Amino acid sequence: MDSNQKRFVEDALDLLNELDEGLLQLEANPQATAPLEQVFRTMHTIKGGANMFGFENIGNLAHHLETLYDFVRQGKMQVTDGLISITLHAFDKVRDLLQEKDATKIANAAELNDHLKIAIEFLKNAESTNIAGANQTKIGKDELATFFLRITPTINITQDGNHPLVFILKDLEALGTAQTFCYSNAGNEVANWDMFLSTTFPQTEVESYFIFVDKECRLEITHLASGDLFGCKEFVKYIDNHRSTPVDPTALFELAQKSAAKVKTDSVQEPDDETSSKNKKKNHNDTYIKVSKRKIDDLLNWISELIILQAQLVNTSSGVNSQELTEVTEHLEMITNHLRDTSLEIGLVPMETLVTKFKRLVRDLSKSLNKKVNFLSEGADTEMDKDLIELMTEPMIHIIRNCIDHGIETPDERKAKGKAEHGTVKLKAFNTNSYVNIVISDDGKGIDKEKVLAKAIEKGIVSATDSLTTDEILNLIFHAGLSTASKISDVSGRGVGMDVVKQKINDLRGYVTVKSEMGKGTSVHIKLPLSRSIIEGLLVKVDETRYIVPLNVVDRIDRINYENLCLDNLVNKSVLVNEELLSVFSLRHRFHAKTNAPKTTDVISVTVNGVRKGISVDRIEGKMQTVMKPLGDVYQQQDFIAGSTILGDGSLALVLDPSRLFQMSNN
Amino acid sequence: MKKTILVVDDFASIRDFVCETLQRKGYDTLGAANGTDAYQLLAQQPSVDLVLTDYNMPDCTGFELLKKIKSNPTVAKVPVIFLTTESNPEKMRSAKDAGLLAWIKKPYRSETFFAQIENALVNG
Repeated sequence: MDSNQKRFVEDALDLLNELDEGLLQLEANPQATAPLEQVFRTMHTIKGGANMFGFENIGNLAHHLETLYDFVRQGKMQVTDGLISITLHAFDKVRDLLQEKDATKIANAAELNDHLKIAIEFLKNAESTNIAGANQTKIGKDELATFFLRITPTINITQDGNHPLVFILKDLEALGTAQTFCYSNAGNEVANWDMFLSTTFPQTEVESYFIFVDKECRLEITHLASGDLFGCKEFVKYIDNHRSTPVDPTALFELAQKSAAKVKTDSVQEPDDETSSKNKKKNHNDTYIKVSKRKIDDLLNWISELIILQAQLVNTSSGVNSQELTEVTEHLEMITNHLRDTSLEIGLVPMETLVTKFKRLVRDLSKSLNKKVNFLSEGADTEMDKDLIELMTEPMIHIIRNCIDHGIETPDERKAKGKAEHGTVKLKAFNTNSYVNIVISDDGKGIDKEKVLAKAIEKGIVSATDSLTTDEILNLIFHAGLSTASKISDVSGRGVGMDVVKQKINDLRGYVTVKSEMGKGTSVHIKLPLSRSIIEGLLVKVDETRYIVPLNVVDRIDRINYENLCLDNLVNKSVLVNEELLSVFSLRHRFHAKTNAPKTTDVISVTVNGVRKGISVDRIEGKMQTVMKPLGDVYQQQDFIAGSTILGDGSLALVLDPSRLFQMSNN
Repeated sequence: MKKTILVVDDFASIRDFVCETLQRKGYDTLGAANGTDAYQLLAQQPSVDLVLTDYNMPDCTGFELLKKIKSNPTVAKVPVIFLTTESNPEKMRSAKDAGLLAWIKKPYRSETFFAQIENALVNG
């Protein structure tokens, strides 16, 4: 924390006390204007200061609360106990955070998000009940639009002049993706500027930049289309052809409309997310209460017990031929499933804080690398497990860093390739079934597959004779110690990151895939289970014991003769599976050696830490979704077992942790 | 001669920060915590070259300060700039009508900030 930030914290703490005072007064006299004005102003000051000193999450929270009190000032809303208490609670949290005096902690505080969410919901309620056409605070999806601005100076000004107008144009360019052409007259003075700007800011806000220079220039502004027209080649080509002669606004508008229609049809192919339908389901008249995390964990724990019990009941009752019993168990199953789904949702919070953090990251990073980058987010209201959000922050920051450092080209390179100077990094989140999907994409240069492959061969990760599919080559970037950046920057380092990213995601039993097209960009798709206690796995049997292998690491399954596994006398401990040498860990060999072996064995190929290995089991019984329970303290040393689960017949299955299993076998 | 800028903000840390930034650029600065103080200070020292003020402040807002300055012939010529988080176009328009020279949005880019200030000092 620098000295300015410290000063701010001290001042803000004083302000928070004043705010409390004002809020309490307001609560006592809801109609009084003096405390209302004080509350509003204090929040406004906190907002301004927080934004200025880099605590944007506090600024954002204060902004939303301020909007609420602005409604009160405008007579559109009444002061209620609810309003006062959400404000008090929110700023209590801010105070707690500020007292810690730890800048990173403040910036990472997910708790602020809960308060933000409450404030936003409150705002939504207020809007839906009594305010029509009030300025809506949109969250989640950013509304992009492309504008055409023709600025004709009425004073004598040169392009490199030190007039505020020149800097206002630069400020405007910073609002989004922009292309500005300057046309000069005979005297080398500016005849006019034509600016094409795609931004999330509304037109009134764009126009307001010119209020104080309206004597120095004339502004014509046209809303060309919604969406980013810089994504449309025709449009970019058209404006590019007008570097020396100004465009005809009417023709431009027509082209823009056509291009926009095209951009829309293009984007239809994107995977349909279910967020929109899900959002509609959310009750607008919801109220919120704060519950301790421990209570929720307890609840989830009991519900998972119930699920196990229910599975046992189904199993037991199937042996009893009774119509009534079947009906009851079926009904119970349905209710248990509902209960499970609802309870899982309780612990979920929207990932907005992450988005705020990333916005900041993109801004700072692009500045330090001299690149121009827009950050767009979609589905920021997608809900995730709170722990998951915390655990995923680092890996996602790493991916975004990679996007900006290795993906997005410098403005000059982009220009040369006919792309918009501003690169785009997009974060999209949505739910599918019991998974959260996060797609981070950029429109940069993409991954050079040849380079990756060459490097991998050089490092001996793959052999030159292997024929790899595109996906396999791209997956090599998750391999430890592989980096294709010829110049090592202090931003994303030397490729020590992506393997860690993959490892973290695997630990959370998620999946990560990467798609990339040369010159067009890269997208990383992360899929994470909504709940950390529900696991999808392969149920396998060794002797009389059942194990579960997490499905997210499984590559393939092969059945081989058991004799082929008896390697005690061989030097080479690898087994030939699917014409490939695989180092196989035999569960039977290690834990059940005394009983008679079956004739064949199933080898499950898994990729752990970028290395493919095999686990051999007697038989695979099927795929299943189950609730994972921790083992008791006595078993804490056996860390190759992640946990256990009770099967429908009441028996126990052990959930394996493949990476630790191999670690153990290596020692 | 060094130009003097009067910085008005009720939030001390912002006020000090802005003052320090300006001093590093070679300006003399004065600080005031609200519009009333600022106006008094200005009445005592009409040699101030520029007033840089926040919008939302207790007692006397930036807008009220602006109106006071512009209605007092001895100081009416001192240019006023708002430095604020407020971005309501209506408010911006009425402030302009009242004689405001420029509106800088917080957080600002230092390039723009100094260009606006220099411009105000030269042309204001």
